[in-house]
Amino acid sequence: MHHAFLGPFWGNVAIIAIAGAITIGCFVAMFWMIFRPGEKDPHHAKYEILRKDR
Amino acid sequence: MQATVTAQHSAVSAEDDRALAAVFSAYTVSATCWLLFATAVGLLLAFKFGAPDFWAAKYLTFGRLRPIHTNDTFYGWASIGLVGLAYYVAARSSGTKLYSIKLAWIGLALFNLAAVAGTIALELGYNWGDLEYREWPWPIRLVFLAALLVTGWNLIGTVARRTTEDIYLSNWYTVCGVLWTCVIAIVATLPWYQHGLGQVAISGFYMHNAVGMWFTPLALGVFYYAIPKILSRPIYSYALGVFAFWTNLLFYPLLGGHHFLFSPLPWWLQTTAIVFSVAMLVPVWGGSANYLLTMRGRYRDMTHSYPLMFIFVAVIGYLFGSTQGTVEAFRSMQAIWHLTNFTVGHSHLTMYGFVTFAVWGGIYALLPLATHKSPGRLGIALHFWMALVGSFIYVIALSIGGTIQGLDWLHQRPFIQSVTDMAPYWVWRGAGGLLMFLSHIVFAWNVWRMTSGQTGNAGSPILARTEGAAA
Repeated sequence: MHHAFLGPFWGNVAIIAIAGAITIGCFVAMFWMIFRPGEKDPHHAKYEILRKDR
Repeated sequence: MQATVTAQHSAVSAEDDRALAAVFSAYTVSATCWLLFATAVGLLLAFKFGAPDFWAAKYLTFGRLRPIHTNDTFYGWASIGLVGLAYYVAARSSGTKLYSIKLAWIGLALFNLAAVAGTIALELGYNWGDLEYREWPWPIRLVFLAALLVTGWNLIGTVARRTTEDIYLSNWYTVCGVLWTCVIAIVATLPWYQHGLGQVAISGFYMHNAVGMWFTPLALGVFYYAIPKILSRPIYSYALGVFAFWTNLLFYPLLGGHHFLFSPLPWWLQTTAIVFSVAMLVPVWGGSANYLLTMRGRYRDMTHSYPLMFIFVAVIGYLFGSTQGTVEAFRSMQAIWHLTNFTVGHSHLTMYGFVTFAVWGGIYALLPLATHKSPGRLGIALHFWMALVGSFIYVIALSIGGTIQGLDWLHQRPFIQSVTDMAPYWVWRGAGGLLMFLSHIVFAWNVWRMTSGQTGNAGSPILARTEGAAA
């Protein structure tokens, strides 16, 4: 798809590569946390909210 | 440590609880009035597509009423409703009283002043240059900014006085949502760079961030408090909630440019907007998974918990609406859907299916706990089903019709052909809109019963505790 303001080829590649690498890294981290939710400490804030709320 | 420091400030009396309930109620009632007004205007607009000559006098033209509908929905209904919820969540989750009741009332007055003045200005034809969602003249937008600053100050003050060690996750979302929106509102108001393409870039930045950095974080913050409260079960993964918070902040501000694909905006800016639209799937899928996994094994409870059903629909609206937004951001999809009614369907899937259902779910879950008054079972059921069916009809009609409209344009058929093809879908849009508006009248009745009227027979929004509750 061509556009008059397409800009330099390697500039576009750099933007897509950097933004894409960040995105893929975040996807990996997201799935990691879905499969390993953690937070077993009973004093963690997520348990405290059920007890300490007035 | 935190508890010791703030102990002297945070002793909460019954008087403080009553004051918080009064603030929460006033924000809810005020928001409900704006919902009724804004959606009555929206309903009139929907039928104007089929009968453009109906009530076409100067003050009732589409050009004047359309921004009144959108601005009052945004800044009257959703903003005020979410801020009322944020105040309640901040005080309760921090185990303290509201930092300043007086500031909360001042904020409410400022929000309403801005919405009333903005509505009158638009009705009189003072439209600030057709900049979507910021059509109010700039002095009025400064009043709205003042309301945000007051709200931000009050929320931060409340969280600072917490008796808990951590700032609970909900408050990260709500406090930062207010602070981000202050920045966005200032960027959108300063005039120096808003000409030519600069105006286009800022328009993309503002119109999308007004949704994604204001309504979204506040609604998500309410979820992180209301879902554990209703289910008496902790959120599935706190860390995932924090991760979704930071990725929302990282990706969202950069994607507004996808509203202006194929425009003279720099191609790299458009490409970046597309890439980060895909990246937004991280906080959207991660956040949605977090809510749905918190509800796992408890879906049967929805049959006798309408607050949970409202929130479930809101989570699904967030998941599907935001994922649809990512798909729409691709150039190949924009070539069909840009400027069509499909976009209107998308905005209603998100602002209604997600944000509005989230506000309702939050109000039904938390307002009875504040006021000790409930809506009626019939009222809450009528509200839910009319709103759900109405919005389904609305969104599906515009999604199909908008796609046909876009294909007509793509195939270079005469423009009038696309108008003719859309006609039946506009009728369905009006039918869905009518159901949605009727549900709002029922909601107003329910709010009355939860605040000032006679309490109803709906049970407590808090469900019985099961496994996985507080250890």
